[in-house]
Amino acid sequence: MIELTLPALAEAPLPFVARLRTRRQDDAHRDDAFLCDEDDAGVTFAGAHGLLAIDGMASAALDGDVVLVQPDGGRVERLLRAGSPHNTLLVTERCDQLCVMCSQPPKKTHIDRFALLEQACLLAEADSVIGISGGEPTLYKGQLLSLIERIVAARPDLAFHVLTNGQHFEAADVARLRNPLFAHVLWGIPLYARDPGLHDLIVGKTGAFARLEQSLAHLVMSGARIELRTVLVQDNLAELPALARYVTTRLRFLHAWSIMQLEHVGFARNRWAQLYVNHSRDFAPIAAALDHAKLHGMPARLFNFPRCTVPEQYRYLAAASISDWKRRYVETCGSCREREACTGFFEWHPDAATAGVHPL
Amino acid sequence: MKRTRFLIPSLVAAGFGVPTDALATTPQLSLGNDDPNKATLFDIFKQGHLVTLAEHRSHSSHRSHSSHRSGSGGHYSHTSHTSHRSSTGGSYGGSYTPPAYEAPEPVTPPPPRRILPLRSAQPGEATPPPADALPTLSGRTERFKSIVKRVQIALLAQGYYQGAIDGIVGPGMRAAIRKFQGARDLPVTGTITSEVLDALRVSSE
Repeated sequence: MIELTLPALAEAPLPFVARLRTRRQDDAHRDDAFLCDEDDAGVTFAGAHGLLAIDGMASAALDGDVVLVQPDGGRVERLLRAGSPHNTLLVTERCDQLCVMCSQPPKKTHIDRFALLEQACLLAEADSVIGISGGEPTLYKGQLLSLIERIVAARPDLAFHVLTNGQHFEAADVARLRNPLFAHVLWGIPLYARDPGLHDLIVGKTGAFARLEQSLAHLVMSGARIELRTVLVQDNLAELPALARYVTTRLRFLHAWSIMQLEHVGFARNRWAQLYVNHSRDFAPIAAALDHAKLHGMPARLFNFPRCTVPEQYRYLAAASISDWKRRYVETCGSCREREACTGFFEWHPDAATAGVHPL
Repeated sequence: MKRTRFLIPSLVAAGFGVPTDALATTPQLSLGNDDPNKATLFDIFKQGHLVTLAEHRSHSSHRSHSSHRSGSGGHYSHTSHTSHRSSTGGSYGGSYTPPAYEAPEPVTPPPPRRILPLRSAQPGEATPPPADALPTLSGRTERFKSIVKRVQIALLAQGYYQGAIDGIVGPGMRAAIRKFQGARDLPVTGTITSEVLDALRVSSE
């Protein structure tokens, strides 16, 4: 697992954003901090905000990283790790849904870091796709849309993937979202079941399904790109074919449908026994949903499904989806031919749930 | 009377008596009065949709098509065919006519159009809330203080600083740095920048 937060000591009293550099380069920016010292314990950089001493990582591993320095917390957050395709910014920890499997349980407080995150995005590597997550980012919809508009205008090479529960899009947003700048955004929106009652139960909010349908209508009027995301739990496994029919008839405008296996973190940790589906034992509903999607030209994919646990004819749909910093493989994966293409396991995946894994 | 009025549009809808290129007609569709930009449906839905599934990436480099072009027909490999099917949906109509390629000579391909892969983001992929207990390493304090001390000594030697050599960046030291930066035409920040380290020759290199 790759560390995202490192202990640090900064000269500046207030939080700031810096890009760490081991040497001067042509694309120097005023927010660059340059390496000035290194030993076994860590590294020291100097930039416009003064000295920054970071422990626990060598300079080569940090070169090019865009970090948020929090002097009072004595740490740096590696917001945009150089070379990683899995950089995600957390804009708030507040949320108005309470999904049973939430991997990042919400908090009531909100710390506004939009200005710092915007500054970080401007320093992103060329052509990168930046994730935006929470909490629920659209609780701060105005700030979020402004951030995207300003960054894409300044950096047309960047694109965003925004995870949102789709509870806050309104007719009034359509005109704004039609701006071609938003062609750089892919909205990742969860939908767990075709049955409104079941979806509402899973996301812990009455009326969530109905509100989501409204939002989807506004988004399609905006020409938005949408990735629908369905996390598999015991309650919706049997409903998956019904959801596939709904997706292929009512949601034909989707760009993709991602069917995702559960992550053993957050709420799912304590509810694992009630939530986790061993898909290698009962793949039939998933297969039926995938068949239906394929028949109707809906690009569906499996996320977080190790390849050896998926029947061979569906294996090509199993994407290597787990982010680099939380991916691991088990011992038996050592001799597997498909390891490079395989998603592996979450770092925190329980060993008991890796039974039956075998090299291909 | 009524019947004739509806006859023509019905024929048009059925595809009779209309220019064969469907794209030629779609831009005329409009969303009506609620559309401030008077954008056509076609404009809205085509807008820069750059995303393609990662599996379809190979599709963009029209390498597989070169064999079609050279006239060795009938070599549709089954695998490439499936990718066509999944990416283009139901567009294989009976009326499909292959485009007429004029020049068989290799042409310099245009720069590949950028295709954004779908991200594989998870809920909770973002930086997790900071852990309460970070490992207690003292290295950072030592490194930090030793550089500050070297800067203090260098500023003292050049007459900008009169305080203690204690490794702490206090108000007196900030003022000294500002004075030094001003005198050397460096950006005046009052912080130990890399320019200050270079100018004082403090950097470890």
